[in-house]
Amino acid sequence: MHKAVAVIGGGIAGIQASLDLANRGFKVYLVEKDPSIGGRMAQLDKTFPTMDCSICILAPKMIECAHNRNVQLLTYSEVKGVKGSIGNFKVKVLRKPRYVDESKCNGCGICAQNCPSEAPNEFDENLGMRKAIYMPFPQAVPRVMVIDKDSCIECGLCDKVCPADAVDREQQPEEMELDVGAIAVATGFDMFNPSVIPQYGYGRLKNVITAMELERILCASGPTGGHLIRPSDGRIPRNIAFIQCVGSRDRREWINHPYCSSICCKYAVKDAVLIKEHEPNTVVAIFYIDLRAFGRGFQEFVNRAKSEFGIRFVRSSPGEISEDPTTSNLIVWFEDPATRTVHHNSFDLVVLCPALIPRKGVEDLAKILGVELDSYGFFKSADSVRKPLDTKIPGIFACGYCLGPKTGDVPDSITQGSGTAGRIAEILAVREES
Amino acid sequence: MKYAFFLGCLIPAREPNYESSVRRIAPKLGIDLMEMEGANCCAPFSIQSVDHMSWLALAARNLCVAERMGLDIMTLCNDCYESLLMANTILKEDREIGDKVNEILAGVDLEFRGKTEVKTFVDVLHKDIGLGKVKNEVTKPFNGLQVAVQPGCHLTRPRRIHFGEWMGVTALDELVEATGARSIAYERKEACCGGPLRGINDEVAQHVAKQKLDAIKAAGVDCIVTVCPFCYLELDMGQLEIKRHMQLREEEYNLPVLHFAELLRMAMGMELEDWEIRAHRTPITRILKV
Amino acid sequence: MGESSLSSLSSDFMHEVADTPRGRGVLTCIQCGRCTSSCPVARVVEEHNPRRLMEMIILGYRSDVLLGQLPWHCLSCFTCLDRCPQGGDIGETMFAIRNIAVREGNIPRGTLVQAQSLFDTGRVVTPSRMALINRQKYGLGKEPAVDVKDVQKILRKTCFDKLISQGS
Repeated sequence: MHKAVAVIGGGIAGIQASLDLANRGFKVYLVEKDPSIGGRMAQLDKTFPTMDCSICILAPKMIECAHNRNVQLLTYSEVKGVKGSIGNFKVKVLRKPRYVDESKCNGCGICAQNCPSEAPNEFDENLGMRKAIYMPFPQAVPRVMVIDKDSCIECGLCDKVCPADAVDREQQPEEMELDVGAIAVATGFDMFNPSVIPQYGYGRLKNVITAMELERILCASGPTGGHLIRPSDGRIPRNIAFIQCVGSRDRREWINHPYCSSICCKYAVKDAVLIKEHEPNTVVAIFYIDLRAFGRGFQEFVNRAKSEFGIRFVRSSPGEISEDPTTSNLIVWFEDPATRTVHHNSFDLVVLCPALIPRKGVEDLAKILGVELDSYGFFKSADSVRKPLDTKIPGIFACGYCLGPKTGDVPDSITQGSGTAGRIAEILAVREES
Repeated sequence: MKYAFFLGCLIPAREPNYESSVRRIAPKLGIDLMEMEGANCCAPFSIQSVDHMSWLALAARNLCVAERMGLDIMTLCNDCYESLLMANTILKEDREIGDKVNEILAGVDLEFRGKTEVKTFVDVLHKDIGLGKVKNEVTKPFNGLQVAVQPGCHLTRPRRIHFGEWMGVTALDELVEATGARSIAYERKEACCGGPLRGINDEVAQHVAKQKLDAIKAAGVDCIVTVCPFCYLELDMGQLEIKRHMQLREEEYNLPVLHFAELLRMAMGMELEDWEIRAHRTPITRILKV
Repeated sequence: MGESSLSSLSSDFMHEVADTPRGRGVLTCIQCGRCTSSCPVARVVEEHNPRRLMEMIILGYRSDVLLGQLPWHCLSCFTCLDRCPQGGDIGETMFAIRNIAVREGNIPRGTLVQAQSLFDTGRVVTPSRMALINRQKYGLGKEPAVDVKDVQKILRKTCFDKLISQGS
């Protein structure tokens, strides 16, 4: 039996599970698809309802992962095969080449300053650009550059200027086989692409953005340096609409996310308050169907949002958004709840709160693990009531949003990460004793 | 390719120019229009509003006629399309209803077997005949004529039933552009023309049509192209009615409305006859000179 | 709109509609208002509010719903239907309401004219004599004949004829 664990997914849930297990003496392989751990939480500006700086809470944990003797970070890596059973899994991991030597690079960034080629910055939701050789984000762990071969023009400048001689253009993909006793899945979520709902104009109308794009705009490390400006002309938006349930609670066959994504009402109110703190004179309206403000101080937060910040809550789901071609302002059509007649209001910026869906690629991962997914692609618990963190495969567990919208927020993900660590430690300890 | 040709009621009654253009271009495109002997009204929304089973039984009767011919149905009118397609879908999916309808049809010696498909003219051209063949037949392309395409509600809604046809509006745009014209985007292209309220509440119908016409006018086009005879009626004759009742200026709108079949026919090098030109209440002479 | 006291509100009407063909949507409506926000008639006529109609069905305002004009001003354009997130489908439910209204003798004139024409001729609208003569002139051939007897047999079986005689 191997006293080691593979954690698949380096977001907050996976990071917490890894740290808990590592601190109990387990060897943890933290496998992450992206070039840095951090996941969605690294992209957020602030968390609700405490309005803590998200990366400020997350980064210490990320750094702990990097320094903990028992944690081996396998970033820019994917699980390609799993054999064996509880206590004795063989996990095949493919490490994608960064073309940068992790042991030499110190993240100074001189290469990126000199790189002539650009590509859309995925971390910034493609709102800004990054270089072909880039640091995924300022607080990335490991603090190592990575070259994106698709946008690299092979000019060799990075190699020339690198003071640590860390560029390795001949780097090959590396296959590793990990011997572990248990596996934890923590792959998190993606945001549903709202262009599937053409009436809201996402992808067509420049000033219609998703909530994650807003987070990146509000974030000081983002594409606008934290200045709240809108995509079409860089002006400060003076009135902003949030639209809830874009794809969530939607039973239409071509959308098929009938569940409530559970955190969007909360983050929308948080973002609305953030915006008012940035620019107090901005009018902010939230168009909702039901306002789901459950738990931990949230209703109080909503009350403050209304009374202290003057945020308007409109109980109506807009039918469509059109555009004023001269100003690129958006015209939102909705039924005014007070007069029960159809109104339209002009907004400088519209923020859509899309459904949260499983990360791209989980079907393949589930097949490799032999784990079931539910009809929406979330990982299925062995028993959603009594064993929510176990899967039906002994030794394979899951935590965080990859299990579906049961997860409320960051503290819930941390709780589940710890819970999974506890389950794994318990199961493996029992096996060891027997 | 042979089709059971479902003309519907409105076209023979009010728009023979639509039928005429279709009959002229069909043979050149390889479409064989086979007459549906004894076919009845599709049972459009007004009838569906009266009684559910009457609709299903009447629609099923038409489906049986096509089944007996061993052919798929081709409709011109969006309402006929919707009625027959919806009925076909329901009867195929729901055994119980299918049996009830067959009980009624037994009284006229018919039995619905679910062996036919319902297609619209746009489907046939785009999917069965193909854009390539259509383009081949275009000998006098319109040189960038700016067209506002009015797809009509039931070309693509409800999407649940038309799921495969979700790109229906795009298909129609592509067909229009195959004639050398340009399909211009305008506000609320997918919105209703107001036609269904003609004769029930003309004032509301006109106001709804006006929204459509205003949006089209704002886009700055040369003409409007329709596929549904209701849309044609509401936008063509409707322009005059709106002008009269809402006391708008004489120069207002003056947007020629063409059936898509007429647009394609002219692009295929066949001129419209005098009576067909006069059949348009809003003059189309501007387009003919192009 | 007539006011009903709380004690007279009941879910019987909602279930009556749910059990009528095309009326099942009443059971899943969450009153989000997207239908009204999208409706082309709602933009022109203030009182035409599909969400409100659904609300009235759910709350049990039976006579207000069945005697009202709203269901007959619906274009059946299905804009609402395509946008409804929960299958409330007021666009479909309108048909159920209209069917019930007709059963109770409530049918607007325009609809009645078409229905009568359908029964008498097998078509909701027939070509005028002039139009028929012109067909020959235009080389369109004879208008395809309808099997009126078969149509009437069917419509008698479904009691269509009785329904429309109630309304006239």
